[in-house]
Amino acid sequence: MRIAFVGKGGAGKSVIAGSFCRLLARTDDRGVVAIDSDPLPGLAISLGVPSTDTALPADLAEKIGNGPDSEWQLRGGMMGIEAIDAYAAEGPDGVRLLQFGKPRGHVRSVGPAQQGFRLIVRALAETTDLHLVGDLPGGTRQAFFGWAGFADMLVVVAEATPSSMLSARRLARLAAPGGSGQRVVAIANKAIGTPDATRLAEFSGLRVVGVVPRDREVAAAERAGVPLLDYAPGSPAVDAIRSLVDTLRRESP
Amino acid sequence: MKIAVVGKGGAGKTTTSAILARTLARTGHRVVALDCDTNPNLGLSLGVGLAATEALLSLRDGVGDDVEHARSWQEIIDRFGADAPDGVRLAMVSKIEDPDHGCP
Repeated sequence: MRIAFVGKGGAGKSVIAGSFCRLLARTDDRGVVAIDSDPLPGLAISLGVPSTDTALPADLAEKIGNGPDSEWQLRGGMMGIEAIDAYAAEGPDGVRLLQFGKPRGHVRSVGPAQQGFRLIVRALAETTDLHLVGDLPGGTRQAFFGWAGFADMLVVVAEATPSSMLSARRLARLAAPGGSGQRVVAIANKAIGTPDATRLAEFSGLRVVGVVPRDREVAAAERAGVPLLDYAPGSPAVDAIRSLVDTLRRESP
Repeated sequence: MKIAVVGKGGAGKTTTSAILARTLARTGHRVVALDCDTNPNLGLSLGVGLAATEALLSLRDGVGDDVEHARSWQEIIDRFGADAPDGVRLAMVSKIEDPDHGCP
């Protein structure tokens, strides 16, 4: 499956994405690549990958030709799968983490690294059958500027609060006219019972395919800096994310 | 004073900004609250309500190519801002309305 978790900052995208990747990997041998395009480390922590601050090299991609028709390619004609071997970090349960990362010190331009990152992700989608699970930065900015192009399905994570549901509605609305064929569904996170899921569905207009309950173990795991799956493997939130893996597997084309 | 509240998503920037803005206004300061998020929710935290927050036109749209530029920041705030409780004037810097046009 190719999915991208989107939503307001703090909605719980990274915690869900991290557990989701590992639970998916445990039940499927196709291989899972977790894709973090946020320059701030979130997914690495929720997955349990120790290195959280390594940027892709600034010269990852090179421009072919000049002018408006010029295109980018990975340096040295590198293929997507080779790039994963070179740049992805190995995480628990065999999940590999590709991080856009934060440059150390000053770099002249993040353009080549950004182009390279997107080329790798696109190549993975086009030439492999790996599962791709993206965790996008909060808000509406990246989701619609090509960063989630690899995904068949955008999964909006939202709480039943006005600001979180408003963000979900904006994401739903912005996705609609693109005609990219991406499906958009929602997950009610930190939910207090099913009324929260109903409110989210009504407010956002999105189909709510999963409900992750409010669970104090999630906050405790985050505070401890330990992946939820290791901190509280039997928690209600983990159970819900496990169901979500099954649901989204069925939903995926 | 000019303050920018920054931090990771979910850390509480918007709530903090709103309370700072209203508290300053209550103690006699003239306050402009600028929502610089492309997913702008500051209006909700300030208390202008959902409809008004959604209806707010971004300053970026206000200075677009088709519109004659306002002469001063005051004029921009007057034209495109909204009144929030305690006399805070709220303005929104940018909002993504159409992902096909321009950069965020």
